[in-house]
Amino acid sequence: MNKTISLVAALMMVSGSVAAQTFDEAFNAQRGMNGKGHSFTFEGQSYTTDHPEEVAAAAPANVANATNLLADAKAQYAKALEVDFGWTLTKGLLASADKALQAGEFRKSMELSARAQYHSRMGVAQYHQSQQEWLMAVPN
Amino acid sequence: MKIIKSLLAGASIALVASITQAATSGNTLASVDPEADRLALQSFFQKRFPQVPVDDYVNGIYALDSGSRAQWEEIEEFPPYEFDVEEGEVLFNTPFANGKSYADCFANEGVGIRQNFPRWDDSQGKIVTLESAINQCREANGEKKLGWKKGKIAQISAYMAYTSRGNVFDVKIPNDGAKAAYLDGKQSFYTRRGQLNMSCANCHVAGSNVLIRADLPGPALGHVTHFPVFRSKWGNLGTLQRRYAGCQSNVRGVSQKAQGEKLSNLEFFQTYMSNGLEVNGPGARK
Repeated sequence: MNKTISLVAALMMVSGSVAAQTFDEAFNAQRGMNGKGHSFTFEGQSYTTDHPEEVAAAAPANVANATNLLADAKAQYAKALEVDFGWTLTKGLLASADKALQAGEFRKSMELSARAQYHSRMGVAQYHQSQQEWLMAVPN
Repeated sequence: MKIIKSLLAGASIALVASITQAATSGNTLASVDPEADRLALQSFFQKRFPQVPVDDYVNGIYALDSGSRAQWEEIEEFPPYEFDVEEGEVLFNTPFANGKSYADCFANEGVGIRQNFPRWDDSQGKIVTLESAINQCREANGEKKLGWKKGKIAQISAYMAYTSRGNVFDVKIPNDGAKAAYLDGKQSFYTRRGQLNMSCANCHVAGSNVLIRADLPGPALGHVTHFPVFRSKWGNLGTLQRRYAGCQSNVRGVSQKAQGEKLSNLEFFQTYMSNGLEVNGPGARK
């Protein structure tokens, strides 16, 4: 009986069916369940469910922070375009963030920049993930 | 114990499946096997829709959904692309300023040759689609290029497809350059893009004939045979790469450049998948 259970465990480990949860998996699960602003523990450490862009956007709303955040968002969008994985809404978000910055609406600008930056970071991540996974979709 | 046996069986199947995939799929120049890919795609659809003859896939979703087919057959009684084919013929036969014409640029004077495009061109080191060959012909004769997605280029392409109806697609992969282009197109087809994280295959392999809101995506097999198409949504004729751009935009991804390397390689891969099927363009679609 014990041998059989060991064999099952060994096979499942080889096939990759059982794997320790990664930080990204834990973060995404917590984010999906609780949204932003929630605290959780992973491997003994405490984290929040905020994206890095949301943390940056929570900084004091002023012209310097809004300008920097918009520049960061534009730089990240350029990276997404460089790997050909830009998303359609990002350009409009950046334009709106720029417009809000010009109008002195710094908080609004920072939130829009954060969304644009997040889209672009996800586009780049999607590119890297697709390099690993596309073949699994091919019928054979 | 029964549970343990089931687990054992499941784990073994998972293991075997992963080994089988690694053994038969190609993602490198050395291992990619276009003919195996083509047969595997055909086999996928034959298993999924056993009642549909392979030859009928040239009709896209109308091969799979009888309700859509009945509507389409009525549309085809007065084909919406008919005037475009006539206009395309006029354009095709109108001499350039230098007195030459499109017929001077193509084999068999441009008649009945749709099935040979896209093709790998060694001298250019890239894939040449029918539309890019049309524009290359214009430029070689001192004329300006036409826009890529609709209008005159679609009309000329439609006429050339019309003269090729019934001919069988026979796209060749003559060397490693062509194979690399094929592999790139294959990767593009199966790669998820855009905010909705969807690939061509999501809709047109696994998702074909499955409702996405009110639409039924057509099967990838036979996908290219009926292009250019008159889409009711567009209200006019468009090229395959116009449709590609629309699909990419639909999944909220920035569209790739029409007739650029990526979309031409994608068209090359997709057309190879339809080798052995008849040209039936231009077509009418929803």
